[in-house]
Amino acid sequence: MSAESLRFDGRFRDGVNAREVPVGIERDGEDLVITAGEKVLRVALATVVADAPLPGVARLLALPDGGQIETDDREAAAALFPPRNRIDAAAFWLESRWPAALAAIPVIAGVTWLFVAQLLPLAADPVARMISPRIELAIGRQALSALDRIVLKPTELDPDTQEQIERRFRQFLEGEPGEENYELVFRAGAVGPNAFALPGGFIVVTDDLVRLAENEGELMAVLAHEVGHVRGRHALRLVLQNSGVVVLVTALAGDAVSMTLLAAALPTALLQSHYSRQFETQADEYAFAHLRRHGYSPQAFADMMRRLQRADAQAAGDAGVVRYFSTHPLTQERIERAEAQR
Amino acid sequence: MDTLAVAAPVYPFRFTGRTGDYFRIWIVSLCLSILTLGVYSAWGKVRKKRYLYAHTQLADCAFEFPARPLAILKGRAIAVLLFGGFAATGHFLPAVQWLFIALLLVLTPWIVVAANRFNAQNSAYRNIRFGFTGRIGEAAKIFLGFGVLSILSIGLVYPYYRLRRARFVVGHHRFGATGFVEALYGGDFYAAYILAGLMMFGAAIAAIVGGIVFAFVASVFGGAGAPGRAVVYVPAALMYGVYLLAFSYLRARVGNLTLNGARIGSLQLSSTLRARDLFWLYFSNILAIIASLGLATPWATLRMARYRAQRLVLIAHQALEGLAASPADRASATGSEVSDLFDVDVSL
Repeated sequence: MSAESLRFDGRFRDGVNAREVPVGIERDGEDLVITAGEKVLRVALATVVADAPLPGVARLLALPDGGQIETDDREAAAALFPPRNRIDAAAFWLESRWPAALAAIPVIAGVTWLFVAQLLPLAADPVARMISPRIELAIGRQALSALDRIVLKPTELDPDTQEQIERRFRQFLEGEPGEENYELVFRAGAVGPNAFALPGGFIVVTDDLVRLAENEGELMAVLAHEVGHVRGRHALRLVLQNSGVVVLVTALAGDAVSMTLLAAALPTALLQSHYSRQFETQADEYAFAHLRRHGYSPQAFADMMRRLQRADAQAAGDAGVVRYFSTHPLTQERIERAEAQR
Repeated sequence: MDTLAVAAPVYPFRFTGRTGDYFRIWIVSLCLSILTLGVYSAWGKVRKKRYLYAHTQLADCAFEFPARPLAILKGRAIAVLLFGGFAATGHFLPAVQWLFIALLLVLTPWIVVAANRFNAQNSAYRNIRFGFTGRIGEAAKIFLGFGVLSILSIGLVYPYYRLRRARFVVGHHRFGATGFVEALYGGDFYAAYILAGLMMFGAAIAAIVGGIVFAFVASVFGGAGAPGRAVVYVPAALMYGVYLLAFSYLRARVGNLTLNGARIGSLQLSSTLRARDLFWLYFSNILAIIASLGLATPWATLRMARYRAQRLVLIAHQALEGLAASPADRASATGSEVSDLFDVDVSL
């Protein structure tokens, strides 16, 4: 059957009333002849506009006077009306083939990985440089107050201990560029023994961490590591990377943009996502070098890491799977590096 | 024999989409959207929606979504600018963020009207287009006026605000030349929202009591570390469960009220969504989507569409064939592409 003598069935709707008439359609040279019983309608083929084909969907042909034909004979319609533009043609080609659709899965995964793990960190560094310290401080303050609302509680350490740690910390910072911008923040809460750096120089230390440290050297080792994060502006770069992820997710999810989701993303991301391997190494190296300069041994760092690891394993024993993902796989490697520094 | 009350014909809705077909359309759309940095998403949205409409059938005729992707692309660009600005200022210039919130507020009535108009104009049945005739002024009164009032009244006016919203949206739709008439009542809306509020309140109390009891039981029978976590997780899971239940209840109840309160000439919809069905669908869909890393999304979409169609019928006291198109639609359907310029899809 050639395209010239094509015949197929359809349903005609005049576009004036919501009624429908079964019709036969036939191509006659450059015309389309539509027959319904005795009535015959003849329209020029060139004036008929067909919709873009979709797999598993009947085709619609728009007639010049506002009428419409729907046909389930997709082969005949495809022969008469190929897709009008390349986008629809390419989409239909891909959508009609299972191998193409399945190949899309690794492509999506690969591009997402490339964007999140490669491009975002690369872009976050120069962007972080463009942001003024004043703005970084504002971001840090906002993040801290959000954490205070959600997980952190006021510290229960006695003021003397706080003051002593603060004094040691200030001594440690002496000569550090922008030393006045650092702020040590003591907090309690359900985050276990923990310390983290926020944008703007806030270093949060939990009561559990202070109690876990056997001696001053161990505590300073952790703080030195966090100072390393602040120096590299790692927190801000991480915030930027996470914003990029949020933008990506929003773009992918498309229709549903939830502002609350966006607002909740920042503090939780700061807590949950571990710094990238590169950030950790940078901060460690800073800590090793400066601990020695202030008369502390990097061995204290290794001891503290071991202690944290044990505390983590104990917590893992309590709650099983929940802790599994937050266990840092690189800890052993970092301990070994610290001990090599002695 | 002859009875006075002649039963009107009832036309059920049917959903005939197939998961395999829709999955391929969905994944190709996702992949091309990523590769084109989101530009293709407008084409993808049209193709996905066209598939869903084409498989939603009433009296053996399908619905139609004849939208142009360019209108959606423009709407997306506006949304990206607005929300990008909002998010960026939120992170970097919290003070300026108020400007964006103000801008969004001012634009809300326009967005509501434009989104409804776009969707209505691009929905058709038997080659007759729907339309939306709501005005921006009235939208401003409802969405800004009653919206602000419902916040100021700590939620007391909220059900009334939702009623006015539903009246505005339903009452200004038309099918061809036949306008919708709404029959929506405040009492029904208040009853629905009060019950949902009670559910949430009850859940909050049950969660606190349950958490304490659980912690006590765990500390008597279990190890040392476990109760600390149980106190957090058990009430949280309970709260999420009840939140989903209240959400499903509102979706079912208010959804039914809204659809059943629409009269199109002598046609009437009858929607019988049930909260427990919706709860199960939402719950299992979320689990399936998470477990499949998102790949089950198209399956979940079709499941929901199939259920909604199953629970919806049209009661026709007049022949469907008698409904006429609006002359204005007939002019623009054959008209120029110029309307494309003013045609924006800003549905959020």
